[in-house]
Amino acid sequence: MAEEDIDLRAAVNAVSDVVQNRPRPLREFDQIYMKTGDMVMQSEFVARWADGKRLAFIGDGDAISVCVAYLKARGIVPYGPSEIVVYDFDERITNAVARFAEKEGLETLAARLYNCLDAFPGPTDFDCFYTNPPWGASNAGESVKVFVQRGMEATSYGGEGLVVVADDPDLEWPGRVLANLQAAAISSGFFIQRMMPRLHSYHLDDAPDLRSCNLLLKAAPGNQGPEQSLPIRDAERLANFYGRDLCPRVHFVRENIRLDYGKASEGEYSLELLEAEDDRGC
Amino acid sequence: MTEVVRPGAGLIFMKVGTHAGEDLKDIIARKRREIEEAGFGLWGYGGNTCHPLRVREFAREYEVRSGVIYLCMHRMESHHRAAPKRATEYSADGVNWQTVPAAINVLGSRYALAITDLHEESFLLPLQRTRVAVGASVGRRGDLYVQGRVDKGCLEVLGDTPTRDSAEAAPLEIGLLAQLVEPYAVLLR
Repeated sequence: MAEEDIDLRAAVNAVSDVVQNRPRPLREFDQIYMKTGDMVMQSEFVARWADGKRLAFIGDGDAISVCVAYLKARGIVPYGPSEIVVYDFDERITNAVARFAEKEGLETLAARLYNCLDAFPGPTDFDCFYTNPPWGASNAGESVKVFVQRGMEATSYGGEGLVVVADDPDLEWPGRVLANLQAAAISSGFFIQRMMPRLHSYHLDDAPDLRSCNLLLKAAPGNQGPEQSLPIRDAERLANFYGRDLCPRVHFVRENIRLDYGKASEGEYSLELLEAEDDRGC
Repeated sequence: MTEVVRPGAGLIFMKVGTHAGEDLKDIIARKRREIEEAGFGLWGYGGNTCHPLRVREFAREYEVRSGVIYLCMHRMESHHRAAPKRATEYSADGVNWQTVPAAINVLGSRYALAITDLHEESFLLPLQRTRVAVGASVGRRGDLYVQGRVDKGCLEVLGDTPTRDSAEAAPLEIGLLAQLVEPYAVLLR
């Protein structure tokens, strides 16, 4: 946590509000949610890291974006980004962000439906980006590189990035992904500012001990990238996007609109009524 | 090592017992009838390990390598009490759904393995001589993976190279065997 005193109870309860608002994760698309205690710590860190800056989230099932905006709006932390835009291909997530922002009056927070395989729609003048992408166990980090590329484009290759990826010294693949990610970042004109190892844990039953790290990137002075953002159609890059031989087939996850949003679905339960008796007095 | 447990082979290990209130003996008899009538059976399971998409990744790769993927089952005491609701549709990819054949009743499960040749066969499986073959824990030693809440896994059998730990866990007894068949693993609803 930061040097300033923070009301931990208020921070945890604020993140609890956000968690309550999140749609359930779709494991088919590697939506695996960070545990709540780690979300509190991560949100405080991101708020401090991006204080006063314009921040793009390239995907955000965890809803760290919402936590960051909410912690500042509630005065729980005195710092935070001046603007946050969430780009995600799941309409349930972008709608949940928009609904929460509207309900809580978070004027600095917005969301756009976007699939990172499409050209980045802009704007491209963000100061920094954040991504916690599919970690690339089956593709040596190629999926991570796609999300990071879009983040770099959001800053016109001139900003900073915070990338959350797997970090486990007992397994080979996270090391391979980290190495490939760092090589790709350097080849794009970014350098590694800092690595914060083994920080976060997840609701991931088949790897409950797997942690992730924060990898902080920064563009080298004067760095420039490609002028135009292009869609990614390269079969080799896409071949193992969500696992071996699992290339992406879904453009967007669309939300089935429910009038009783946020309540238990009527499909989950049925009501068994009390027998009608006159002596209940109601 | 048996024909099933040979270096390089892929197998699915699963602890099995009472499921949705139905005794294992009854489940086995029912599944054998399903295989006779439908040509394959759906062996239901739940939890968040062995997601069908991961199982299919694994099965496609290891079937090419080793010909057959075996489902190796270890009997255990279980008190699985999920409601025995029958799945009516199954999907290999979560996008396209098909009707579950009338002959197949898969109850109280959200995932299932497609199996044939379900039979009793007894041999020992040394989990410490296996490694996880797919997913976020790929490379982790089998006995370190299958513990606590994790009761199944897609594993690759390793050779006889000694493990780093001097104290090796006792191998687990496999009492029930089946072969995986296309579409290997499915989501249910």
